[in-house]
Amino acid sequence: MFCLGIESTAHTFACSVVQYSFYQNRLIGKILSDARDIYVPPTGSGIHPRDASRHHCKAVETVFKHALCSAKVSMRDIDVIAYSAGPGLGPCLRVGAVVARTLSAFHSKPLVPTNHGIGHVELGIMISRAKDPLVLLVSGGHTAILAFSGKRWRIFGETLDITLGQLFDQFGRSLGLPSPCGHEIEQLGRKAAGNYRLLPYVVKGNDVSFSGLLTSAIRSVHNKSKELSLGEISFSLQETSFAMVTEAVERALSLTLKNEFLIVGGVAANNRLAEMLKEACKRQKCKFYRCPAELAGDNGAQIAWAGILEYVGKGRHVQVEKAFINQSWRINDVEVIRN
Amino acid sequence: MPFSYSILLLQHQRRKLLKKGAEADIFLTDWYGKRAIAKVRTVKAYRHKSLDLDIRRRRTIREAQMLSGVKPIGIMCPHVYFVDPISCEIIMEFLAAKNAKEIINSEISSQIGTYAGLLHSRNIIHGDLTTSNFLLEDKLYLLDFGLSFHSDRLEDKAVDIRLIKETFSSVHYPQFETLFSGFLQGYSTIQGKKMVKKLLTKVSSIERRARYALH
Repeated sequence: MFCLGIESTAHTFACSVVQYSFYQNRLIGKILSDARDIYVPPTGSGIHPRDASRHHCKAVETVFKHALCSAKVSMRDIDVIAYSAGPGLGPCLRVGAVVARTLSAFHSKPLVPTNHGIGHVELGIMISRAKDPLVLLVSGGHTAILAFSGKRWRIFGETLDITLGQLFDQFGRSLGLPSPCGHEIEQLGRKAAGNYRLLPYVVKGNDVSFSGLLTSAIRSVHNKSKELSLGEISFSLQETSFAMVTEAVERALSLTLKNEFLIVGGVAANNRLAEMLKEACKRQKCKFYRCPAELAGDNGAQIAWAGILEYVGKGRHVQVEKAFINQSWRINDVEVIRN
Repeated sequence: MPFSYSILLLQHQRRKLLKKGAEADIFLTDWYGKRAIAKVRTVKAYRHKSLDLDIRRRRTIREAQMLSGVKPIGIMCPHVYFVDPISCEIIMEFLAAKNAKEIINSEISSQIGTYAGLLHSRNIIHGDLTTSNFLLEDKLYLLDFGLSFHSDRLEDKAVDIRLIKETFSSVHYPQFETLFSGFLQGYSTIQGKKMVKKLLTKVSSIERRARYALH
């Protein structure tokens, strides 16, 4: 059986076909294709929702065809269509929803709206085969520490303002770097030769807050009298923010007593963060799992897999006229059945 | 050899690791014949050295100050026997107590609320108000003042309340309603219903700042 997943929450338009079956009473999935097209905003500016949605409109045809083609299936073989219904940018979400509704109505296939964040988490679990992990979801849209209990992914800690991805993108953009800026900042930081300078470190229980850190970092760039190089500031920004997240994770680990940990989301691709978290897990005697870099960022497979869990696990799907989007859809509002 | 080191050297030989907490290692030890707890903020290799030292030292000193400072308000917490800001450790009273996280009910959460109200009435923000930081012997004890600070801002007090709310809604989600209303009831005995109302408004404004909260 096959599920087509359509992702369009932010800068990525992606389609993917995931095959699912039952093996020893467990639902298992296999990613057959993963086609994407990513909107690149003009250097120095962030994602403009309208421009991104226009990009998605143009990308639909090729991405969709490529996803079916490389999976070697046709629309007739697809059993269910899943789309990302939120959270995300309204205009972008609408493109994916329109595509999904059209395909569903034309080919008479069941339609499943899915939560983008749940997709990140569940795909990470499917790939890593972790059983009951504490999950850190870090991306441009999320910074949250989650654990599964009572049919929901419950939030044990999160950012009180901007996300880790936004911290890097906004800092990078103030330097005129093309976003997403995480990689560039990591490169800049290498030049610091380990010269660290204290920046605001804000941990509030299991929660973190990055806005003061961002302001302070941007100010240090423009403060000529202190003679700090860009490299040093980038390095310090990374070290401080990652240490904050790692401490919050360690606190949540000791609170929940989980013995598995999984990191998912776009920022999971960062090696330094993974290294720090690995160290913290070692201290807490906890197994460390990481979503592979190629599936850490937004993709269609996460949507397809979350859709499969929703459709097969809960038997839930919606009529085309009721297939809405929801820009503000918190992950702990979704009931999940897991096998 | 300085005084503190000779004592600690003796100390180290008779230690038993009880718990590797998120922030510190907790050892069972003795202090002049008394059972005692050594809370050691060990080096975290993942943090940059200067950041790590700054955090550990600051929190150790802060915690020791607060453990003594909050007693006159009527808050029970372990007595501090010894503080070493160089090795970042505190030796304190041993409590044969149960962790409130394991045995929480509305009565305990009401007492937690009273403690929070007392702290806030003196403009002390605990900074890590979770159920696992309360111990119950015959009375309720509050621990872990490493993140605490002085502030009279409504915002900071509301962050404390938001954290305990988050703990109730994640760790103790089946009892969320009773625990949180118990907490607020305890809090209002100190601070009054008006203050609780003001704080709850602030708490929801903080929650709305978080990601994808409904506006």
